[in-house]
Amino acid sequence: MKMTARLKLTLMTTALLLGSLHPSVWAHQQAFENMGITKPRVEKSAPGFALQDIQGNMVNLEDFRGKAILLNFWATWCEACKEELPSMQRLYEALSSQGVEVVAISIDRRNFDRVKKYAKEYNLTFPVLWDPEQKVRKHYYIMGLPTTYLIDPNGRLKGFASGARVWDSPDSIQALTSLKEKL
Amino acid sequence: MLKKNLLSLLIANVFLLIFVPLSQAYIGLCCAHCGGNMPLNIPGGGIPETHEFRFKVSQMFMVMGPLRDGTRDLDNAAELLGPANGTTFAVTPEEMRTYMTMASVAYSFTDDFAMMAMMSYIRNEMDMQFNTPLQSSTGTRGFTMTSDGQSDLTVLGKYRLYKDDNLAPTKQASVLFGLSLPTGEIEKEFTNNPVNGQNGTILPFRMQTGSGTVDPIIGVTLQSSTDPWWYGANAQLEAHVYNNDQGYRRGSELRYDFYLMRQVHSRVVLLGELQGWYEGTFNREPYRGRILGEGHAGGTPSGGFLSPLFDPKNYGGHKLAVTLGLQFQPIPLHVVEMAATIPIYQDLNGPQLRDDYMLQFTYYVELPTKKSRRYTGFKAPKELGF
Ligand SMILES: [Cu+2]
Repeated sequence: MKMTARLKLTLMTTALLLGSLHPSVWAHQQAFENMGITKPRVEKSAPGFALQDIQGNMVNLEDFRGKAILLNFWATWCEACKEELPSMQRLYEALSSQGVEVVAISIDRRNFDRVKKYAKEYNLTFPVLWDPEQKVRKHYYIMGLPTTYLIDPNGRLKGFASGARVWDSPDSIQALTSLKEKL
Repeated sequence: MLKKNLLSLLIANVFLLIFVPLSQAYIGLCCAHCGGNMPLNIPGGGIPETHEFRFKVSQMFMVMGPLRDGTRDLDNAAELLGPANGTTFAVTPEEMRTYMTMASVAYSFTDDFAMMAMMSYIRNEMDMQFNTPLQSSTGTRGFTMTSDGQSDLTVLGKYRLYKDDNLAPTKQASVLFGLSLPTGEIEKEFTNNPVNGQNGTILPFRMQTGSGTVDPIIGVTLQSSTDPWWYGANAQLEAHVYNNDQGYRRGSELRYDFYLMRQVHSRVVLLGELQGWYEGTFNREPYRGRILGEGHAGGTPSGGFLSPLFDPKNYGGHKLAVTLGLQFQPIPLHVVEMAATIPIYQDLNGPQLRDDYMLQFTYYVELPTKKSRRYTGFKAPKELGF
């Protein structure tokens, strides 16, 4: 018993020492925690999709390979969703030049005009896609809105957030840039 | 009076409970009942989110009158006032006003199962007109009969049998089941009757605040949505199967609604309803009328009814009404509904006051518990490695 405890202590100390050598790792860890982002137990590939955006172009998940992605699911009837979208726009403006992409998928079944209108009203310049058939939503197991996934440049799922967040906060910027750095 | 104070205290407590924890509760997560919006006057309308409470307070004002038999309005003085002989009456109602304050609480145990309890405080005022002999003996044209008190307590369960989608369903079917418990009164008495010897006798059926019986309730609800529309139907049967302590029971009541709602703004929904009621007659007089002769000419059971209100056959019929209203969300988790109802068709059993109009104001608030998804969020899917 004593041996195991001592072993644990040694391992922990080593980990701490290693960690202190790479303070950014700890900061990233902290940023994910502060944002309430769940990290995966097993890293899996983000389910692929091809959807129309508000300009009428087909957009593939593959198109963003090499970039860190904030993938957000929302709907025009979801007030909480609409509250967080402007912070995603500010994040996009701050980090798009550093290879961070923001993609929002509306799950409105009808009235695509309302999605367009909202995007225009809030000057959303990142891709806003439409999933009227709820296919992509189901592949991503969306049970409530808003839901956001963080995807790394290799297309692997790195984080899950249920509920609205302030996406241009320092923690959020830290979390997203960390996905980019680890490549 | 004491009961009235208790109810206001209860309502005040409910409000306190609501307003304190709200600010922390709202974490900005949308629901799993989206697309399930219903008019709040429909039992089971406005089901709370899973692991959340919903408190609802509603103030209703209803006016009834004039008298009608079948589908024809009656002229009190010319057609009904006269000797209390069975076809004419010594006293007839002209108008009734009902003020009802309803409080209800609901809780959702799962995505599909919610329970609710509702209780009202009722005040009835009925303007009565005397026949000529009574007008001269009392020196007045008539009087206003009043009663007030708590209603029966209704406890309902709503179970969702079918949904086409968990997050934003477009079709849902649910069953309602429950009981109406006899917390209201069935022996309210006259207190201000100008006619000698009438005070202290039993008030007619409609002036009582309860049924006096345990009444089973069953119902079905269909809900659909096609953004920006919500529509559906609801049917509910309240069966009256046992006699109460006065040895009678009310007629069973079948209520049905068709509703259509349209979202015109992110915080405003307009609503329209077609509502129907079938109600049976009361099966017989209360003991105090049947055996003791209260409400009868001469104070004996063999005397004619003093008023059509005492005849158990003069109740029920078939009514259709239209309701127009709006729902408004001033701040998240709070909903206000205003609605007005006017009858479009009424075929009534025997001479009785017909519906004139009804106004209803409802306020409801959702209170998430710590188990609610609005606190905990949704779990990350293990299918995707989380
Ligand atoms: Cu919602």
